[in-house]
Amino acid sequence: MKDLGLTYTTSIDKKPTLKARIKTLGRGKKHTRIVRALNDVSIDVHYGTVLGIIGSNGAGKSSLMRVISGIVPPTQGRVEVYGSVSTLLALGVGFNPSMTGRDNVYLGGLAAGMSREEIDENFDAIADFSELGEAIDAPMRTYSSGMFARLAFSVAAVVEPDILIIDEALSTGDAKFKEKSLNRIKELRTADRALILVSHALATIEDICNEVVWLNQGKLMMRGNPSEVIAAYREFVNARKSASSDEDV
Amino acid sequence: MEKPVVVYEPFRAGLPPMRAYMRSLWSRRTFISEFSRSELREQNYGSVFGQLWLILNPLLLSAVYFLLIYVIGGSSDATRFGHLTASLFLFYLIANSLTGGVKAITSGQRLIMNTSFPRVMLPISATVIALFKFIPTLVVFAIIHAIIGLPYSWQMLWAIPILLIALVMALGMAILISCINVYFRDISSMLPYLTRSLLYLSPILYEASSVSERIRTLEIANPIFFLLDSWSRVVVHAEAPSMNGLIHASVWALFLFSTGTYFFLSRERDFAVRL
Repeated sequence: MKDLGLTYTTSIDKKPTLKARIKTLGRGKKHTRIVRALNDVSIDVHYGTVLGIIGSNGAGKSSLMRVISGIVPPTQGRVEVYGSVSTLLALGVGFNPSMTGRDNVYLGGLAAGMSREEIDENFDAIADFSELGEAIDAPMRTYSSGMFARLAFSVAAVVEPDILIIDEALSTGDAKFKEKSLNRIKELRTADRALILVSHALATIEDICNEVVWLNQGKLMMRGNPSEVIAAYREFVNARKSASSDEDV
Repeated sequence: MEKPVVVYEPFRAGLPPMRAYMRSLWSRRTFISEFSRSELREQNYGSVFGQLWLILNPLLLSAVYFLLIYVIGGSSDATRFGHLTASLFLFYLIANSLTGGVKAITSGQRLIMNTSFPRVMLPISATVIALFKFIPTLVVFAIIHAIIGLPYSWQMLWAIPILLIALVMALGMAILISCINVYFRDISSMLPYLTRSLLYLSPILYEASSVSERIRTLEIANPIFFLLDSWSRVVVHAEAPSMNGLIHASVWALFLFSTGTYFFLSRERDFAVRL
């Protein structure tokens, strides 16, 4: 791949969310609240990078992913993407529980932007990966949540985009499947692909990523070597924890 | 450095780059059909008759309304029944498109929050579902037509352009209402009254010719009045439709489609934060 540049620059991103909507038949006043989900965040990710994103709940991780993947437009700044993006923000998007697993592979794959031919080609691989066996022809409403997650991850894992964004999708299934999906992500780490991984599993991040970004309240706190950033983040979390436990007393 | 493939910038009112949008919409056409099929199957999932309901529903519906006119009017004939079923079936193409469209965006929340795709696909699917429900009723009507011995003629070919107009109108309405519902959720509760009014204000339970001149003038405000009238003339009476009726319907269809799409496309990037 000669196209090495992959630049994301999002700066000051205010996200207006309409929390309470129009009350009395449209003529009442609007209740708006402005949430600054991302504040002046600039990141550039190059092909070959596996970028981990960490931060506490509400730090803006998912918002950042949504901006990068074009789901939510930025309110300020600019995102430039050089390549095809596939997002894995939630599992089983587009699935219909009353259809069989097989139908849902097609539905989910098409929702993820694959063509029918691509799914035909990869169907066996998906079915194998999910380890569902004959259950693939049973309606999905009969699946356990683990089975559901396994099939959903399997569909997502066969898409081979230039840029893959994964938001906490690793915590699915049992330990064995977790390891399998982790291995699959490791396989996807190649020089001509960029991976962005959001997770609270710090050990996993440290294991697979070669760069880590730490977000806090919409701001970029630190970026760099995984072990250093994670150490700093741990320290920060512990410091806050001890401070609040003091308050409780 | 090469040019970026996609650039996301702050949202401004106005249309997205149309060529890229249309290309991405076209590339996802299989998703639209697959999505519509699965929705349709889900609606009848688990019922004894299953997909047979697609034919049973319109039949029962026309039987109920036939009973109604019989009770109110005291008498009825075969042509009247033919008019009722034909108009009712076309009306339901539009009504189903509206009822499916109204929640297309708000119930597609999971898809919208997690994948990037042309949002207009969702109301399009609503119209595709309405069309899938309409096709079996055409067959049902063809059989009724033959049984009650309605006339045939070449003028019946007018049914094709009329159907196209109806589809454009249904699509425009679905797109418009799905967008309005994002900002004004109450519209989904008001919709049943809206469709019911449309049903009674349109020549379905009665024929357009039986309406007084004054009312007919007022009916210009009803997008489907002359559409249904033309439809009934063509498929029931095997006559040519009135040109004024066709023009009226086309103007309404184009108006609804263009305002709906403009409104939708210029706002759709805002949907994810409003759901």
